[in-house]
Amino acid sequence: FFLLNINCFTGMMMAAHAPGAASASGKFTSVVENPKEARFSPYVSNGGTVVGVAGQDYCVLASDTRLSLGFSILSRDCPRVTKLTSKCCIATAGMQADTLALHKMLQYRLKMYKHQNGKEMSTDAIAQMLSITLYNKRFFPYYTFNIVGGIDPNGEGAVYSYDAIGTMEKMKYTATGSGAPLIEPFLDSQVGYKNQLIKPDRERTKDEAVELVKDTFATAGERDIYTGDAVDIMVMTADGLSVEKFPLKQD
Amino acid sequence: MSIMEYNGSAVVAMSGKNCVGISSDRRFGVQAQTLSTDSQKIFQMNDKILIGLTGLNTDVLSFSDQLRMRTKMYKLQHDRDISPQAFGKLVSTLLYERRFGPYFVEPVVAGLTNENQPFLTGTDLIGAPVFTDDFVVAGTATEQLFGTCESLYKPEMEPEELFEVMSQCLLSAVDRDCVTGWGGTIHIITPDKTISRTLRGRMD
Repeated sequence: FFLLNINCFTGMMMAAHAPGAASASGKFTSVVENPKEARFSPYVSNGGTVVGVAGQDYCVLASDTRLSLGFSILSRDCPRVTKLTSKCCIATAGMQADTLALHKMLQYRLKMYKHQNGKEMSTDAIAQMLSITLYNKRFFPYYTFNIVGGIDPNGEGAVYSYDAIGTMEKMKYTATGSGAPLIEPFLDSQVGYKNQLIKPDRERTKDEAVELVKDTFATAGERDIYTGDAVDIMVMTADGLSVEKFPLKQD
Repeated sequence: MSIMEYNGSAVVAMSGKNCVGISSDRRFGVQAQTLSTDSQKIFQMNDKILIGLTGLNTDVLSFSDQLRMRTKMYKLQHDRDISPQAFGKLVSTLLYERRFGPYFVEPVVAGLTNENQPFLTGTDLIGAPVFTDDFVVAGTATEQLFGTCESLYKPEMEPEELFEVMSQCLLSAVDRDCVTGWGGTIHIITPDKTISRTLRGRMD
């Protein structure tokens, strides 16, 4: 009887409060009165960092191999770089599902081009094609942050950076993904020589560029939780492509 | 729009061999509008302690005044300068006193102990401290600063080299953040003197 009484009492209290809450201040909104549907999100971030550095006659394109979801690690050895031609690679950070779909789509287009035209697509053409492919999905984008790196038809290294809907820019160096804010200022300082009055008189060699890229990933691996485990480094020159794997901290 | 990003600021402190450096940007703005290019974010508490304050500018000014008052009181009451460790604890305590209505600042303390060893600490806006022996960063450009400091830092640098490394770290990082920059201020505390310089960077 006592409990019944309490329930009735509280029931009356709540009934009195509910309309009050809505009308009085408007600050406390009730879910009963304003129901919100939990919407399905088609996007998820799988983390990862990607770096590209172009030189006089080489191009270095690297990405880490950690696949994450929230605070969990799904894989320590998940490749983010795909070889497109002997002189061009694409590396992508963002959502792995869209990355795989996009890379597959590009490889299909390259194969068709090769069969129809009897030659491989040049790096600048691949770069343009990626920009168009991304913009074609302007209203339901690929959740991908891409870097295309390769040797252009003049034999010089080239790096192209993109946003999710295909804004393209040819650059000397770039970084994208979760570790990008940590790496870009360092590349500005050491590759672009910004804020330096005395710049070096010779260009960086291919091996020096690879060492620099390893340093950037070691740095990002220290301070970014989504970057680590290992780095896939692709080095492209006019002669061909070489692949190197560099281990990082697994924490 | 976050309160901590309303004004925009960047501070980094780094340790060297018997010296410690602290530097900040010079921009004072309100969201996208820059209002001055010579604002002070690093305040001297005594000969051996400097504190850099990031966050909401009004609270930076109020809190630095509070600290100045408390440091002077300490000197009067104890008849000696406050040590960097005690000062760090003071900062922490003063911030936590306002736990449920905090000062929107994130301070960085750089000091030289009585044994001429570098002392670094930084706290969040409610006083949780972190003690490191290499560097501490705060402000809106922390990710950028972490990247540059982590790559360019090495232990036991002499004052001249510390100055060069800190300058590069700060300028490269603030150039990648739109609400910081417009030059830099850097102070290096050594056992004999404090060297202060203004850095020329991108003015945008």
